[in-house]
Amino acid sequence: MSTTTAAATRAAAATARGPQAHPIHPDHTPTGQLSFGVFFQGVNSSTIWRLPESGDQVAFESFESLARTAERGTFAAFFLGEGLRLREHRGVPFELDVAGRPDAQTLLAALAAVTERIGLVATQNTTYNDPADLARRLQTLDLISGGRAGWNIVTTDNAWTGENFRRGGYLDHADRYTHAEAFVDIAEQLWRGEQVSHDGDHYGVRAQGDLPRSAQGQPVLFQAGASPAGQDFAARTADVIFSPHGTLEAAIEFRRSIVERTVAAGRDPSAVKILPGAEIVLAPTEREAEEKVRWVRDLQVGPEQAIALLEQYWGRDLSAFDPEGPLPDVPPEVTESGVTRGAGFQFAQAEELTRSWRAEAAEKGQSILEFAREKSGSRRGSFTGSYDAVADRLLEFARLGAIDGLNITPWLIPSGLDDIVDHLIPRLQDRGVYPAEYAGSTLRENLGLPPR
Amino acid sequence: MSTTTAHPAPTAGPGPEHPSGTLPVLAVDLVTEPALLDGIGELARGLEQAGIGALTLSDGGLHPLHVASLLAPLTRDIGLLPRTDAVYVEPFHLATQLMSLDHISRGRAGWLLRAETDPAVAAAVGRAVLDLGATAREAADVLTASRLLWDSWAPDAVVRDTERGIYVDASRLQYADFEGETFSVRGPAITPRSPQGLLPVLVADTDREAVGEHAASELADGRVLDLDVSVGARTETAAETVRSATASEGGPALRLVRLVGLDLETDPLGTAGRLAAALREQGLIAPAPTAGHSLRQQLGLPPASFDIDPARRSDRARLTTRAHLTTEDPA
Repeated sequence: MSTTTAAATRAAAATARGPQAHPIHPDHTPTGQLSFGVFFQGVNSSTIWRLPESGDQVAFESFESLARTAERGTFAAFFLGEGLRLREHRGVPFELDVAGRPDAQTLLAALAAVTERIGLVATQNTTYNDPADLARRLQTLDLISGGRAGWNIVTTDNAWTGENFRRGGYLDHADRYTHAEAFVDIAEQLWRGEQVSHDGDHYGVRAQGDLPRSAQGQPVLFQAGASPAGQDFAARTADVIFSPHGTLEAAIEFRRSIVERTVAAGRDPSAVKILPGAEIVLAPTEREAEEKVRWVRDLQVGPEQAIALLEQYWGRDLSAFDPEGPLPDVPPEVTESGVTRGAGFQFAQAEELTRSWRAEAAEKGQSILEFAREKSGSRRGSFTGSYDAVADRLLEFARLGAIDGLNITPWLIPSGLDDIVDHLIPRLQDRGVYPAEYAGSTLRENLGLPPR
Repeated sequence: MSTTTAHPAPTAGPGPEHPSGTLPVLAVDLVTEPALLDGIGELARGLEQAGIGALTLSDGGLHPLHVASLLAPLTRDIGLLPRTDAVYVEPFHLATQLMSLDHISRGRAGWLLRAETDPAVAAAVGRAVLDLGATAREAADVLTASRLLWDSWAPDAVVRDTERGIYVDASRLQYADFEGETFSVRGPAITPRSPQGLLPVLVADTDREAVGEHAASELADGRVLDLDVSVGARTETAAETVRSATASEGGPALRLVRLVGLDLETDPLGTAGRLAAALREQGLIAPAPTAGHSLRQQLGLPPASFDIDPARRSDRARLTTRAHLTTEDPA
């Protein structure tokens, strides 16, 4: 209960600072309101598949059911990732996590038929799509949904992914944002019905936009800018920034940084919303929530996944090691880890990393399994606790304007939003920080974004 | 898991692949102009109730694949076939989008393959326009690559084996490993096998020349007869055209009769319903779709079996490195 009290005290302090109109940055005025999105992952270990109530990951019913629950909770957006290549581990498709998903926009086009207000956001990369084709698809989605489309702009550069595409691995890592920005420019020109004549380093585009504007003008642009270059790109182009900031301190720091960059780019800071990705684990009490978090982590990361996580960084077969035992006392076989490839996996310097991990686990007395669960859990944000505690924490985030909402990854499909909609959202509404109904019919209106 | 050839040999008229007595399905072509969106659900359901077996979506601005997908949850039994280009596209994306439509529509998706010849479309994606020969070759390559992707997951690849901690069994996946003239695709698909496995691929009469003989007659699953009803739809004329097309010897089997140019302003449901009833009464088109039947079934195509190619197994890297340790997967 002490956490709840502390959170409430902090929230009260934030409220008391209410008259202070610019708590984080002089150019930023908090709206005090939150919007939620739901991110149906379709891959990675965040989605639990081991339970009987874990639904089909591809069946349209799963998507429809989740979208309906989200709409019942006045969620602003339904968000899908993009698949470009099936994840591999040591040269073989990764077998341990949920894998295999439908094409994002094709699925969202069908969801447009069975939903009324929720935004439909597709992750689409600027490296392995053609600008004119992607712009037309997004504009079609925007028109058939009555102005509810969004585009999460991502970049890719590796040759391994390129093996599925005409151009192969043509783009240097350093060029990916320059390329993405030109791509977005072309898309926006086409959406405005303009003629495009572009000759870039990697491609040329001659096209004419010929579809009408949608009810929201053009699709809402999302971007997950975390690096300084990514933040600058987002500050110049995005409507919504989607990146992980679990702690209040990190979120405040990120907001300050984005406001500065947005002002430098000559844009109104209130025109850029921040919706960090988050996982939410709730229970009636703090104690039950703690137990539930452990239970969720255990189901997300099993012994096989724990070994696979380490193999990713060690670059060698570690199946002989006991998941209940200490971290492997053998050196990595690679200089840069990369035996697991695809969405969600990070590259790092293996020698240095594995040494520090061994030391960290030894100090905490953690087994391979405990260590892997903690590592993967820490990537999932920290909105866990009792219904009231999480509502209070979010109240504090909202009052300060640290975030404009969350993009929530459910750990169970399709029922993973049920307790959020039934228990958390009413508490947020009681606290005056979450809408009771949709503000309008377009995604732009429901995110509180200015017209474009 | 049975093994068959992925690409059935071309059939000329009734044969083992085309049971005699299978009649073509009657389709209505909708052009995806933005104005089509007004009342599109009612129109599609109305056509379904009027006994139309399939809708084809031709490009009128909105992307035909998206419009087909929008219609999937709004309809129940009718087939959905976007008529889209195979040339100036990313084959991996296109194949994924089509198999996703098949998932969403529960096995009602097909592909009316066309080969773009408009230089403006090539310029939009920064490519030089191909001559007719190269256009046909490209269309054939993209079709072949798409089928390899559709066939890259076994129907039972998602095992959810809690004992072994395995969600998907890599030994039941295979790479596409397609090497074409202008592109290659590694695979496997990012999407599990769709309900039909291989979507029916048909070529409309108007698109045959550009698509080329190889893809249209040998690779595709059949022919589409186009009936232009924009200048009126006399049932006798329509019946005669279908009768003579059905009777014609040689060439791919007639699978679809497509009404093009249907006037959506004046009683489209009445026109389509009258034609459907008349052609059906004369035994010229297939019965109205049966609930729960796939488009392949409606079209008289045999079920598509999973075609295993040991050389393309997705766990080959593991088999090579651990050949001395493990014998064979339990599948």
